[in-house]
Amino acid sequence: MSYAHEIEAALKDGFLRRTLDKFAVEYRAGRDRVFAEVDERALIQRIADVKDDAARHMEELYEKFRAEAEKRGAVVHRAKDAAEAREIIAQIAKENDVHKIVKSKSMTAEEIGLNAHLEAAGIEVNETDLGEWIVQLRHERPSHMVMPAIHLSRGQVADEFEKTTGRAQDHEDVQKLVKTARAELRPKFHAADMGISGANFLVAETGAFAIVTNEGNGRLVNTLPRVHVALAGLDKLVPTLDDALTALQVLPRNATGQRLTSYVTFIDGATACAKSPTGRKILHIVLLDNGRADLARDPLFSQIYRCVRCGACANVCPVFRLVGGHRMGHVYVGAIGLVLTYLYHDRAAAKKLCPNCVGCGACKDVCSGGIDLPRLIQEIRARFAKEDGEPMVSRLARYAMRKRTTFHRLLKFMRFAQKPFAGKDGFVRHLPMALFGKQGFKSLPTLAKKSFRELWEKRGSWLVVRDSEPRTANHEPRTTKIALFAGCALDFSLPHQLVAAMKVFAHFGVEVEFPMEQTCCGLPLVSLGEKETALDVARQNVAAFAGEYDAIVTLCASCASHLKHWYAATLGAEAEAFSAKVMDFSSFVHDKLGLTEKDFARLDWKVAYHASCHLCRELGVKEAPRALISAAAHYTPTPEEESCCGFGGSWSMKFPAISKELMHKKLDNACSGDATHLALDCPGCTIQLRGGADREKRTIQVVHVAEVLAAALPPS
Amino acid sequence: MQETTADIFIARAEAAAAQVHVVPDEAAAEREVESIRAEKGAAGGAVGVVRAAKGIAQTGTCIVVADDEALRLDTMLPEVSVILLDRADILPDLPSAAPFLREQQTQGRASYVSFITGPSRTADIERVSAIGVHGPLELHIVLIGGRP
Repeated sequence: MSYAHEIEAALKDGFLRRTLDKFAVEYRAGRDRVFAEVDERALIQRIADVKDDAARHMEELYEKFRAEAEKRGAVVHRAKDAAEAREIIAQIAKENDVHKIVKSKSMTAEEIGLNAHLEAAGIEVNETDLGEWIVQLRHERPSHMVMPAIHLSRGQVADEFEKTTGRAQDHEDVQKLVKTARAELRPKFHAADMGISGANFLVAETGAFAIVTNEGNGRLVNTLPRVHVALAGLDKLVPTLDDALTALQVLPRNATGQRLTSYVTFIDGATACAKSPTGRKILHIVLLDNGRADLARDPLFSQIYRCVRCGACANVCPVFRLVGGHRMGHVYVGAIGLVLTYLYHDRAAAKKLCPNCVGCGACKDVCSGGIDLPRLIQEIRARFAKEDGEPMVSRLARYAMRKRTTFHRLLKFMRFAQKPFAGKDGFVRHLPMALFGKQGFKSLPTLAKKSFRELWEKRGSWLVVRDSEPRTANHEPRTTKIALFAGCALDFSLPHQLVAAMKVFAHFGVEVEFPMEQTCCGLPLVSLGEKETALDVARQNVAAFAGEYDAIVTLCASCASHLKHWYAATLGAEAEAFSAKVMDFSSFVHDKLGLTEKDFARLDWKVAYHASCHLCRELGVKEAPRALISAAAHYTPTPEEESCCGFGGSWSMKFPAISKELMHKKLDNACSGDATHLALDCPGCTIQLRGGADREKRTIQVVHVAEVLAAALPPS
Repeated sequence: MQETTADIFIARAEAAAAQVHVVPDEAAAEREVESIRAEKGAAGGAVGVVRAAKGIAQTGTCIVVADDEALRLDTMLPEVSVILLDRADILPDLPSAAPFLREQQTQGRASYVSFITGPSRTADIERVSAIGVHGPLELHIVLIGGRP
């Protein structure tokens, strides 16, 4: 089945959709509750620092860990790849005459495909984590790192248990199914010769490792059989116990919303064991490299070492929520799964999966180690693009966008070409919707008759700054002078939003310049993997805005985040002054001008708010737009304001079925109260949600925050 | 009144589905354990009793040093698990357990230290919370000198 077909099938899976929808909402609530008790950001930063440092000193930590663990009676192995790790463990089994194995959950064992290898050697392997056992019985892969069987209903589980036990099972009562698992697996623990577990932390200072579980199976696995093999990646090494305990404050909170899991076990060395011929546990620790040592030296990808396998990146991923882990991962699931699939397992699978990141940044926001997952996924996409040679669209983009005049001429030509189809309402009309195929879920915007830059050249009366003195309620002592960065979508398709902003600026005495040499911010080029051209346009923009301004203001959250972060990170000193001045519209008006309700004649609009991904996460702007809406109209909070609308640039062209569902959900939420308007800060979201509202015949008006403010300006 | 470390411990342990029995002293603890044994034993359940070395208030956790295999199994196999904890041994949070853990792991012998927070549990079927999977179905914490 093609990936597109798999996605379509998943979207039609009613059970999966209901389960993951419910989970997404409840997970957020639970997470917020337990993180309120600790300093989340400080803890994440500490984990990032500790693990970055561990990555840099991996070889030393490995040597220290090995020495300490062996001092305490363990045997430490280092496997260079999956095959070697499988072989080492098979050999341990052989040497110890092992016929039966019980396993507690280990994603690393999934990574190396351990079960199949041991079974081929004639050994019976039983998973004992409930979810893992269920997927093992069904010959499936886990669909989540923490909840492997989240894709299955209790009925499916009961059917499977009936097959296994040969006895009728209760199809409704989950507690009874859990009891079945307890009764079925208990004798297997007792009969096993060897237990295999993962390890969440390998503590170099004492050679101890920690296992984090809830079910109690992990402790039975490492206690009852005479042989214990702990398998873990080299990335699990941390220098000290303090580091492990710090990370433990985040891992369960992020994974399941628990303060701590039921069991955390620290084992250092071979403890007493009645079943062992020596009276001591036969303890082997297998550390897997499989590319990790090389990655530890990679300037960009070494940050994956911060991953503690909490699964939070899947829990908040809007795409995972719709399609489930089997379509959003390979061995590891969620955003980190996409990255690890590329790095460790299967490039073909990664090539299929990595394009399916909408880039909303939700994962980065909750990651236990603050890994910049969207950036890593974008980089992987760029590498694939390079390997494949350029697709036509990239070549066209490079040709068209390197020179601003060519690009803008092209846009003017498109405006001419669209004439027969352009409706008066700013949407493409007069075309049968069938023509748009799967993209037809939203109405598409036309290019405006006059772009903003054309309007600017003519300088209508609306551009005149009526006062030389600023007249905000909180008078600023001097006139503010800004430069406006339009962004392509606003300039050519939604200039009325810029005009609204100009009215606000004019009213409050802000002096505005519009440098005509400005061009596309370059974000779409980066998405296409066209880094060189993106650098070209970045330099053009920096040059265009070389004048003296208090701020460079843009109404596009995506442009703002790109101009601020990517320019600064990529151009360095060259763009430092430029990037520092970039502000999104709401922040400028709220923070710099200090506008409050006294400055507006309050509208009777009831305004819901959509927090654009680039604004609320990339720029961390949360309060300003909501405060402005409250000042100018009636802010109406709605559920999940910060979830992605499903635009995601070119992503929505590749995955229209998912984009449609995200849009639909967003509009459902926005319309769940009595809002008359839906305000936002980004033209991409505007195109998605305005087009969607039109197509779904919703009455809610989609507007920029600037439009709300402009409508609420008191008469001069 | 200010919340004491023990108050926080009790609240957090109960939030993790443990049952906390507050008793004034060792003698009362022994009586409490006997009454739990009698009640659960009569119902046919096995009862395992161990003593915690430390507690953690922030998470409602008991730290049990379980180098001894039989003692360890007492916290794993029976359906009812009882842990005795002295109020004076409660630490504020996870990081404050590092020195204790380090001490255990540098005594020149192998060690097995369990952080136990509530009974065993799972949410692997439809995310329905189920208490008691492979470990105890009930966790009783007898907190000695818990509250004046």
